[in-house]
Amino acid sequence: MRAAYPDQSGQVERDGLELGFEVFGHGDPTILLLPTWTIIHSRFWKMQVPYLSRHYRVVTYDGPGNGRSDRVTDPARYSADSYAADAVAVLDASAVDRAVVVGYSLGAQYALRLATHHPDRVLGVTLVGPALPLVPPSPERAAAFEKLREPCPEDPQGWDKYNIAYWHQDYADFVEFFFGQLFSEPHSTKPIEDSVSWALETGPEILEAEANRPLLGISGAQVFEGVKCPILVVHGTKDRIQPHETGVEAARLTNGGLLSMAGSGHAPHVRDPVRFNLVLRDFVERLVS
Amino acid sequence: MRAVYADREDVVLRDGLEVHYAVYGDGQPTLLMIPPSPITHSRIWKGLIPHLARHYRVVTLDGRGNGKSGRPTDPTAHGQEANLADILAVLDATETARAFLIAHCHANWWAVSLAAAHPERVEGLVAIEPGVPYLGRPQPHWVETAPHWDEILENPTGWQLNNRHAITTRHRDWVEFFFGEQLVEPHSTKQLEDAVSWALESTGEVLAAGEEGFELDFPDRETLEATCRSLAIPTLTIHGDRDICQHVERGKAFAEITDGELIILEGAGHLTPAREPVEVNLAIRRFVDKTKGKPMKSHVWPRGMNRKKRVLFLSSPIGLGHVRRDQAIAEELRMIEPDLEVDWLAQHPVTTVLESAGERVHPASDWLASESGHIASEASGHELHCFQALRRMDEILVANFMVFQEVVEEGLYDLVIGDEAWDVDYYWHENPELKRTSNVWLTDFVGYLPMPEGGDHEAYLTADYNAEMIEHIARFPRIRDRAIFVGNPDDIYPAVFGPGLPKIRDWTEEHFSFSGYITGFTPPTPDRVEEARAELGYDSEEKVCIVTVGGSGVGRALLEKVMTAYPLAKEKIPELRMVVVAGPRIDAESLPQHPGLEVHGYVDRLYRHLAICDLAVVQGGLTTTMELTAAQRPFLYFPLTNHFEQNFHVRHRLDQYAAGRHMDYRSTDPDQLAEAIATEVSRVVHYHPVETDGARRAAQLIAELI
Repeated sequence: MRAAYPDQSGQVERDGLELGFEVFGHGDPTILLLPTWTIIHSRFWKMQVPYLSRHYRVVTYDGPGNGRSDRVTDPARYSADSYAADAVAVLDASAVDRAVVVGYSLGAQYALRLATHHPDRVLGVTLVGPALPLVPPSPERAAAFEKLREPCPEDPQGWDKYNIAYWHQDYADFVEFFFGQLFSEPHSTKPIEDSVSWALETGPEILEAEANRPLLGISGAQVFEGVKCPILVVHGTKDRIQPHETGVEAARLTNGGLLSMAGSGHAPHVRDPVRFNLVLRDFVERLVS
Repeated sequence: MRAVYADREDVVLRDGLEVHYAVYGDGQPTLLMIPPSPITHSRIWKGLIPHLARHYRVVTLDGRGNGKSGRPTDPTAHGQEANLADILAVLDATETARAFLIAHCHANWWAVSLAAAHPERVEGLVAIEPGVPYLGRPQPHWVETAPHWDEILENPTGWQLNNRHAITTRHRDWVEFFFGEQLVEPHSTKQLEDAVSWALESTGEVLAAGEEGFELDFPDRETLEATCRSLAIPTLTIHGDRDICQHVERGKAFAEITDGELIILEGAGHLTPAREPVEVNLAIRRFVDKTKGKPMKSHVWPRGMNRKKRVLFLSSPIGLGHVRRDQAIAEELRMIEPDLEVDWLAQHPVTTVLESAGERVHPASDWLASESGHIASEASGHELHCFQALRRMDEILVANFMVFQEVVEEGLYDLVIGDEAWDVDYYWHENPELKRTSNVWLTDFVGYLPMPEGGDHEAYLTADYNAEMIEHIARFPRIRDRAIFVGNPDDIYPAVFGPGLPKIRDWTEEHFSFSGYITGFTPPTPDRVEEARAELGYDSEEKVCIVTVGGSGVGRALLEKVMTAYPLAKEKIPELRMVVVAGPRIDAESLPQHPGLEVHGYVDRLYRHLAICDLAVVQGGLTTTMELTAAQRPFLYFPLTNHFEQNFHVRHRLDQYAAGRHMDYRSTDPDQLAEAIATEVSRVVHYHPVETDGARRAAQLIAELI
């Protein structure tokens, strides 16, 4: 059973692709909780939706490749610009003019493209553990990126598993490794199980298509060009996926608020939902007052 | 002493009348606080100014007719137009382009008029118990008495005193009746004294003129309602639902007609800024910050399990005894919890001691208003009326509580330890929803006791304060997670809290744990005394008499009396060596001089000298007398006159140890004093031993909560 069920649940078609979206609550303003890397789907906001929807209208949707959306293998559908276009389609379908947009990890890129291309649709942006090209990745992760397209390693350990060929060979093992890294906090068995099960709703061919997406092509301050709305950044200090410095830099470049969650990993909103929810609500209240 | 003093104050001259104003702080935005004159003046804001001025710029004015402003007796000088012009003149004089207005009672009508006439000068209005006529409904006693305003009544009583003749001829009666009615909350003795005293700074003539002037240029109902409705500013109305000056329906109507926020304080009367200063402070801040849209502050939030154990220790600065025992407790706590982080929220002179010991003093300590300064300002000669001094410390306590609350909300502490932190204990009971951590209360006495000279009234006041404390603990047992009495049950003074109230000892045994006494240091054993004396420069032949009054600045009179007795004592005991320690606040040079008499301004670690002296002459403070008791030294102690703690609690405790010789300052002349010195010096004493494990026992009781 879920803690909150949608008041409206539907599909929106954009450019030949069906996307599943859900709308919870009736408050004002609307909070748009964006998808992230397609390895998981919109259920990763499950700790936020019940609370937020008691105060605001909350819209979630599954990006291409997972959840109730089409499993598309066209890499173009995984670009940040394409995600932003999907988001507009969902806002239109749920009759939302403007929303506070929350982007997690890769979703930070989608949120910023949305805010740049459609400033009139975005009241404010919250970036959680943003995956943005602002600071160099950790040496471990940098090495992993380099080997992404190499042949499948023999008996891979650790980040060696971040390899497309290995995904095809043992997807479940990769997924378990990845979420074990993502949740660096002790006692995270349930969030890991959840994430693994959502990951198993899609597969290696989808992740491969996603990996071949057109890249953002900009970095540093450029990623915020044209973004006029207030920004809140939330980042765990023990984030092993995106360095905490990325969040610090994002807040600095945008003159935004920064909540550093000391001891938190890459998904502070999942692992410390209470604090995250309260801070997000505070941000929304400031936006509307 | 006040909790905060103005950064600037001056008067503006308006048609020959002085209007006084004051400016506090330099934050943004400016809050202009408008009192309802002439019944009162800007001191009604004393519980709010220290807190608000720390965050914003606060401008107060005394309305015409009271405070430091002029006293017109002509009703036409009290009209709305005149008051409005005063307020504008103060805004101009303080170069305030725009301000939030905070007004009480009928001053809200002036605030509304200002916002309507000069919307560009007003950012918002906090209307406290607003007295905007026509709205809601009036209290019946105003309606009933208004027609008789100009009559000469025979022996008017109660609300009949609302009458020109009565107010001008029996001003005090009216003011005492009026505020007595308004303070519906139990235990409001101090607020009542304040309100009456401020009202009496003006006269009945001025007050009557004020009443008449208020209605002189009053609009009709339709115009007034249209004015309220047209206000283009956000409003916050705060109203006690038991207000019998302005009916709470009036506040509700004002909030509705201005489409503003409304906070009803249930059970509160007409004077919420005085009676509920914490909630009013917090409500004003929420309103101003929300209206101004304060930007988000970046911060770090550590996951719960990622935190070290942290304690906030509050050590009372009244007397230096607390900090020594508190340091000893902190040491013992660290033995139990080696990674424990201890922050200290304290003030001078405690901070000096802590910093030199390498303890972490919280930076917000700088914001605390001085309790020790206040106590010193309350003393004169050998007298300190400690109970009244504590009562008059009310604005300092609320100011310091607001600092504490901010620290505790940001500090993620596991526990607060308050060694006689009166502010925390009182205001957490009054505002229990603000409690954020576990809480330990430490004290070495329980119960306010009246001094005989104070008569029935003081007995009534101490009983009232004790009753409030008993009710606090009965209603909210969750506020003090642990209460520790620094001492033993036998140390508790054998008395009741007041008529109809429990015995102090019974109640204390039921509500406290006992740590035994905490000295904070171990005196040398008898076989080491000679060695210790030599280290400090005393030879074995001389008889060392140390005279000290601590560091409080209270006690010059006792020093002078002892020094006058010195030559007489020296005659009797030729080996006498008297060492007078004046302390940092008394100028040693200005004391009487005698050949052979040593006077020091400051002596490092004085307790080491006391521990090996042949006699000490001291006041009746607990710390010093118990140090002497623990060290088995003969001593004469003179409790401060009218100091209930020294006269009752400390004296009783010393009697339990059969320690010291009690002396009465007023009835002891220099001859008697010299005789006492000669008799007592070098006397071998056999006091009951003082426990040495008090700090450990206290720490064990505290550690269970972390």
